[in-house]
Amino acid sequence: MIKFLLMVNKQGQTRLSKYYEQVDIEKRPSLETDVVKRCLSRKKEECSFVEYKDFRLVYRQYAALFIVVGISDTENELSIYELVHNFVEVLDKYFSRVKSKLFFLSSQSELDIMFNLDKVHIIIDEIIQNGHIVETNKNRILAPLLALDKMAEAH
Amino acid sequence: ERLIKKELESIKEQVASPNTTMRQMKEIMVRAIYCEMLGYQASFSYIHAIKLAQQGSVLEKRVGYLAVSLFLNETDEFLLLLVNTVLKDLQSTNLIEVCMALTVVSQMFPKDMIPAILPVVEEKLTHPKEIIRRKAVLALYKFYLIAPNQVQHIHSKFRKALCDKDPGVMTASLHIYLQLIKENPESYKDLTGSMVTILRQVVGGKLPLDFNYHSVPAPWLQIQLLRILAYLGKEDQGTSEMMYDVLEESLRRAEMNHNITYAILFECVKTIYTVHPKSQLLEKAAECIGNFVLSPKINLKYLGKIPPYDHHRVSGPL
Repeated sequence: MIKFLLMVNKQGQTRLSKYYEQVDIEKRPSLETDVVKRCLSRKKEECSFVEYKDFRLVYRQYAALFIVVGISDTENELSIYELVHNFVEVLDKYFSRVKSKLFFLSSQSELDIMFNLDKVHIIIDEIIQNGHIVETNKNRILAPLLALDKMAEAH
Repeated sequence: ERLIKKELESIKEQVASPNTTMRQMKEIMVRAIYCEMLGYQASFSYIHAIKLAQQGSVLEKRVGYLAVSLFLNETDEFLLLLVNTVLKDLQSTNLIEVCMALTVVSQMFPKDMIPAILPVVEEKLTHPKEIIRRKAVLALYKFYLIAPNQVQHIHSKFRKALCDKDPGVMTASLHIYLQLIKENPESYKDLTGSMVTILRQVVGGKLPLDFNYHSVPAPWLQIQLLRILAYLGKEDQGTSEMMYDVLEESLRRAEMNHNITYAILFECVKTIYTVHPKSQLLEKAAECIGNFVLSPKINLKYLGKIPPYDHHRVSGPL
């Protein structure tokens, strides 16, 4: 199962965190800093999967952002690695309606997340629930949010 | 840190003020989410998150629910306050509200209140819209996880979901089935045929195109099915024989040059080694692992080194 999903920048600032297992709020910043330190210290030749405490980390870098997913032993690392990319492609699809450039290659992406934290959370809620992958079809992931946006606009 | 403390003070003031509109409350909640994300508890805002979910318009309500899902946990007493709102939204004529209520229920719900909400959720299983049926199944999955005895009587409805014409609803039911089969494979051997058929159809490209990821049909669904088949075929020759064909097909089809096909291959190999052995398949699987280990791609090398198999078995038939 997926234990958590983090979006952290190179300076170690958490831009988004989602936990699927109970972790005390005071413990989270230190966990997140530690996790990002581990990922930053990886060399280019090392793989994207890191053994961490009694579980594993899968990380992927997009411009200045790291997306890190903590997973249990039973999870398929490569499938999570690609799930992250699918997620980023969904964000790209959503945000590039208003911007012309590719989301995941631009440094704007960090700002997009910061200014739309609630929307990014809503998107993740469609993809992962209870630590399991529940939807991967991009259209279906975005449908509820797009409907919400439409309704909000109408008011 | 000073900045955050200041921010928290400001939020505290604003949530308590009677002049704050729901629209403003939504913005405030997002800021509260931020503070908590950085490690600073904003517990004074919890009750207001619930209020936002109760009283806000659609997007505001969604943010209220989001805040609740982030702030609270299963055992929080505050959660009880949410139950009425959720019940109301589940019966709303606005489908967006029904969807968000189902989403919240799937994320956290007080165990003791399940009986109050179960009939309403069950009713949604036959809703004309696939998204509602799908989310209802996921809510039931949650109920199964936290209180399995409460959903004993509706196993027949899970079967209906498995056979649903919409692939999304079917996929949702697989979460429940993976759990059930893992706990008690014997009782579900009769589902093997269906699982094999579904996998065969997915691999054969029978799903609508938007289920593809980089031209691979529903890869995560394939992986889920492969896991289920592993549990069903383990130490059971008869059942395993039903799946050899589709396992071979999956191995063959996943031979493209993309990470996600390798992910499927890896899972497929794991399944092949878990079920009753068939030498031909084992050979192909071993070849696959060999390719992983030899690959210049570092992520694949890593996978090649994880032993999904029992050494004893490998040296046998080969």
